[in-house]
Amino acid sequence: MRLPRSIHGRMLALSVATTLVALPVAGFAIGGVLDHFVTRNIDARLGDRLRLLRAVVRPDGTIDRELLDRSELATAIGTDAVWRIDTPGGTVGAGMPPLATLRAPGPPVGPERGPPAGRGPGFGAPFDLTLPDATRVHGLVLDLPEGRGRVAVAVPRREIEQPLRGAMLPLLLTLAIVALVLAVATLVQLRLGLRPLRVLRDRVAAVREGAATDVPEDQPDELRPLAVELNALVRDNAAALATARGSAANLAHALKTPVATLAIELGDDPRAVQVARIDATIRHHLARARGGSVDRRAATSLQPAVEGLVAVVAALHRDRGLNVRADVPDLSVAVDAADLDELVGNLIDNAARHARSAVNVTAVRKGGFAVLRVIDDGPGIAAADRARATDPGVRLDERGDGHGFGLAIVRDLAALYGGRLELGEADGGGLVATVTLPVTAGSGTAGY
Amino acid sequence: MRILLVEDDPDLGPAIARALRAEHCAVDLVPSGIDAQHLGDTERYDVAVLDLGLPDREGTAVLKGWREGGRDLPVLILTARDGWSDKVAGFKAGADDFLTKPFRVEELMMRLRALVRRAAGHGATRLTCGPLAYETQTGVFELDGLPIKLTALEYRVLAALMLAKEAVIERLDLMERVYEGDADVDSNSLEVIIGRLRKKIGASLIETVRGRGYRLTAGSV
Repeated sequence: MRLPRSIHGRMLALSVATTLVALPVAGFAIGGVLDHFVTRNIDARLGDRLRLLRAVVRPDGTIDRELLDRSELATAIGTDAVWRIDTPGGTVGAGMPPLATLRAPGPPVGPERGPPAGRGPGFGAPFDLTLPDATRVHGLVLDLPEGRGRVAVAVPRREIEQPLRGAMLPLLLTLAIVALVLAVATLVQLRLGLRPLRVLRDRVAAVREGAATDVPEDQPDELRPLAVELNALVRDNAAALATARGSAANLAHALKTPVATLAIELGDDPRAVQVARIDATIRHHLARARGGSVDRRAATSLQPAVEGLVAVVAALHRDRGLNVRADVPDLSVAVDAADLDELVGNLIDNAARHARSAVNVTAVRKGGFAVLRVIDDGPGIAAADRARATDPGVRLDERGDGHGFGLAIVRDLAALYGGRLELGEADGGGLVATVTLPVTAGSGTAGY
Repeated sequence: MRILLVEDDPDLGPAIARALRAEHCAVDLVPSGIDAQHLGDTERYDVAVLDLGLPDREGTAVLKGWREGGRDLPVLILTARDGWSDKVAGFKAGADDFLTKPFRVEELMMRLRALVRRAAGHGATRLTCGPLAYETQTGVFELDGLPIKLTALEYRVLAALMLAKEAVIERLDLMERVYEGDADVDSNSLEVIIGRLRKKIGASLIETVRGRGYRLTAGSV
């Protein structure tokens, strides 16, 4: 049998299996003890009757019929019992087949008189028999000394079974209640016992979504090493990410200074084209290195990022007297700070380069996403070209002035974080660039 | 136009300096952030070109030092890092413009001229004074619509006068804006340059304000 995949399931199955084995064992054991006591009680009474019947046989082996006929004897034996005396001198009995068919009972056991003392064995040897009329009986048989014959007395088995059956119902009911209590206890135990695991899972999820930086190490003894290892893993991951980004960026940036020198030395020389190619290659791979290792655990505040970028873009385009405005609520997005700057910076700069007089940046929260909208009053982009600019098939390094390169960066970065770039037409004919970015789990509430 | 160029790369620094001098600029090249900090605090420059990755002191720290000391000279940051985060950080430190490596000298010159023009309080890119016109984007002087040829020193003096239009520039101030830090300056050379300029553009345009300095005037004041 395959074990269930969940710990909860496994422990529950184990508990159910244990209960299913333990309860019948308990039932049989208690039933056996009950049977033993009832049988012993019956055997004690049968022993008394056997003594009476034995007294009917005279020492010479003949039957004392006078004694047998006395009513006290009949009363003592009772009407419910069947009995028989087989002696060499004759046979008397009521309702019993010949005793020779019974197995040899051996010497009488138990004391000669009175009920069996304490827990000792009864008087005579017990037997079970089915009478010709199909009545099942339980009795005692005694071999008389010196070959004087056999004496047996029996009562129907129902005299044993009736009290047993009466006791069995409360017994089963009790066992059922015990089973129910055990099941409830198991469920409660599982819920309480597994709760730290669920809490830990939620915290790990929070770390992955960027809502938390680490897992609390204040855990039950069994989970503390796991939490410590998880935190080490989170740190290693972050460090590796930073190293990967750092080394790619360092290589690219180290190349840029000599490339700049070459570009100046070459001036208008036709070979300067090669320098431009080197620069384009560096940019392309720098962007790819950045894209290949996004940190989705990040949590960055949108408002200060946008306001800083708006100030920079306004300064860069200050000669044109553009009105660059931002109205962005305080949202936290699950995007690395540098990537968010890159994404939003390109978006606003692109709008500013094409705007006639104004650029407006707004943001709202919709479900798990921040919807950032950058609107300019420039000439906009034709519908066919809009689709091309956001088409993921168009490569990032297809550079060119105009909307192409910057929007491709925005599109690719947004996609890396599970967001999207959409282009539309503003009321006055300008471009509306809408980008959706995942909101950090647990940040603010909806309502904007 | 006198430029403080802060660039530690032994090849790029001199290359930029040569290119800027070819555009008639006076250039002081320093490879150290600490030296740059000092020069920016004590000397008079029209604009500074600041590399960020300096060996002894970060470019942004140098810039913050200047701004905290009340120095408002326009600063163009020259950097290999072209991310928007770097730009935001640069502007927050007090930069006025950004140029990423590699770049074209024409682009650098255009931005530097724009920075200097704005710092002088001019909104329009074309400045005029009587028959004289200065196209700040290209750096070309015209007299009656025709470009005039000027030596580097003449150019610097005329550009400084043009940007300060109608206002008097102190003699010492003008000297500082025209000569490089390590130049061997003859105290009479400024008069010589002014004399040559008057021959080229007409004597009446440059007025000598006795005991103070010079000013450019169309004759209205």
